[in-house]
Amino acid sequence: MAELKTLDLRPGGQTAHVWQGGNADSPALLFLHPITGIPRWGDALESLANDFHVIAPYQPGWGPAKDDLPGVRDALDLVLFNVDLLNTLGVGSAHVVGVSIGAWIGAEIAAIRPDAVQSLTLINPLGLWSENHPGEDPFAQHPGFPTAVLFSDPDKRNELLMAERDPMDAYVTELLDLRASAKFLWPIPDTGVGRRLVRIDTRTLIATSEHDNLVASEMGDIWRAAIPGAQSVEIADSGHIADLEAPEALAELVRSFALEGVTA
Amino acid sequence: MKFHWFHGMPWPHLPDDFRQDNRSVWVDADSRLYDPVEGHRLYHEYLDQLEFAERVGFDGLVLNEHHQHVFGLMPSPQLMAAALARRTSRAAIILLGMSIALYRPATRAAEEIAMLDVISGGRIVAGFPLGTPMDTNFAHGANPAEFRRVYREHHDLILRAWQDPEVFAWNGESARLRYVNIWPRPIQRPHPPIWIPADGISSETWDFCAERGYAYVCLASRGIAPAQEAMDGFWSRIEARGLPCNPYQGVVSQTIMVAETDAEAQERYQPHLDYTSGHTLGDFPGWTEAPGWRTERGIRERAVRTMADLADPIPPRVPTWQERIDSGSLAAGSADTVTEQLEHLVMSLRTGHLVGVFHVGDMPHDAALRSTRLFAEQVIPRLRHLWDDYPDHWSPTPVATGRLTRTTERELAGVN
Repeated sequence: MAELKTLDLRPGGQTAHVWQGGNADSPALLFLHPITGIPRWGDALESLANDFHVIAPYQPGWGPAKDDLPGVRDALDLVLFNVDLLNTLGVGSAHVVGVSIGAWIGAEIAAIRPDAVQSLTLINPLGLWSENHPGEDPFAQHPGFPTAVLFSDPDKRNELLMAERDPMDAYVTELLDLRASAKFLWPIPDTGVGRRLVRIDTRTLIATSEHDNLVASEMGDIWRAAIPGAQSVEIADSGHIADLEAPEALAELVRSFALEGVTA
Repeated sequence: MKFHWFHGMPWPHLPDDFRQDNRSVWVDADSRLYDPVEGHRLYHEYLDQLEFAERVGFDGLVLNEHHQHVFGLMPSPQLMAAALARRTSRAAIILLGMSIALYRPATRAAEEIAMLDVISGGRIVAGFPLGTPMDTNFAHGANPAEFRRVYREHHDLILRAWQDPEVFAWNGESARLRYVNIWPRPIQRPHPPIWIPADGISSETWDFCAERGYAYVCLASRGIAPAQEAMDGFWSRIEARGLPCNPYQGVVSQTIMVAETDAEAQERYQPHLDYTSGHTLGDFPGWTEAPGWRTERGIRERAVRTMADLADPIPPRVPTWQERIDSGSLAAGSADTVTEQLEHLVMSLRTGHLVGVFHVGDMPHDAALRSTRLFAEQVIPRLRHLWDDYPDHWSPTPVATGRLTRTTERELAGVN
């Protein structure tokens, strides 16, 4: 059974809000959420928890950590937050899986602390910019349904993100999660990680979704070319938020690659 | 009661089918629709209108800052203020305002306002708007998640740069300056009056103005009901602090159109109002809420309205003339009618500074001048006495004119 806990991190003393599920003896998996945070312990995390000890923190600024945004300024602060979290949990290294903005954070961790990363799966990664493949602007959207563009079908926002939540709280959280994303991705999602990707020596899989309005499949090629030895795959029938739209496909892809080194 | 004349400086030549190829009048409208040579003529015409307003008796000339905006051809109000500072001698020059969060380092804004205050002999009002997401975030790329913090920091830096006579170091997050020591310094002491414009309901702005003693500027373009809510909110914050509700601390802007009769006003001016409304109708909503531009409190306040709009969507349309009058988004008609409308507005909102928008859209020069003159001659005298019992602490305090020297035409003629 999954639990959402609040932990004090050492050595920084910062608080982390983190979901954990699965057997603590299973291989550790650090899940780095997309722009939309973690609306609930969803199907993707539940499926991964069959094989992994899943550690899924809210990054500072998202969800219950909304007030922690001023404390982080850049990639290094985010890397340290996640590494401190693993240390606090007594986890030396983990399989790292990042979706959307979480993929950028995962790549930074792998570049800066390669010893903490057993394998790296980057799904619909943001953080590099190409004028030829700009994608939709996630921040210039209708205020009534601000994250609809992140889904392959706008109605899936209601179905997958907003459902079973208090409408006002879900909406406010949606906008605050976008605020946190904007802190690092505004006005162009060029985070500078491109200068560091060459340092990654962990085995890496890049996945792009078939119907992602933000990250074109060509961007997946650019990521793959920048990371030595990286492989790439496509996730069918999904938009940008693949953990909500294609939870089983995502879990299966991660399982195969992280545990068996197979790219489906 | 004080009366000010505002110019938004719109582009008046949009084609009727503008909307077919353009989703917005802001940020990404087709720049090929702009003609710089016609722009040259327009800038001079618009400046002539502002100068005319001083001549017929307005107390202040009002400018604002917009970027990549079809209806706001004034990316730098300071440049227009500099032109007006030389060509006028009495009226306040009200920057409503400068988007101070966009100036890096913010001492640049402190310097330019100080220059303007010195050139004009102490006639500057410094307006510090947060700005719109379109101008600041989308056009100028400022990060909305950081924007309010930057705004506050720049505000603090500008105020100190004007007032601290010592060289000081500023180690902020936006500005890092080892030596702050601006030359020149403003004439007005301790600093020019500060007005804070806010579009819509913003309780944070009410508190900011009430805490610091700044004038609160309510833009009444959406009608009297929202304006009433905004001004009531502001005055409640003043009362809560045990401060006097001095009407001069409350500023209201209103679109005003005066003709000989009510019917003539509608006939002459309505097409120019409809020009603006028609081209703005159904504008791209994606520009309006850059994430982080509102605080969590602001999001919650706004969300109620957003959800109501989504639940019961009303198709956008251009309001009729009568609807504008009834809602109070427009004061228009004969001088008698406008006097009556504005007296009601001024008393119910409790404002001592009325900012009139006399030129809109594609209004011809002579129509703007005529409406302005009728207002100055037939409306101002009948409202001037309002709030006579209150001191106005929010207008500029210029140097006495006797101390200002200028080279005369005769002296210039004598130079070989």
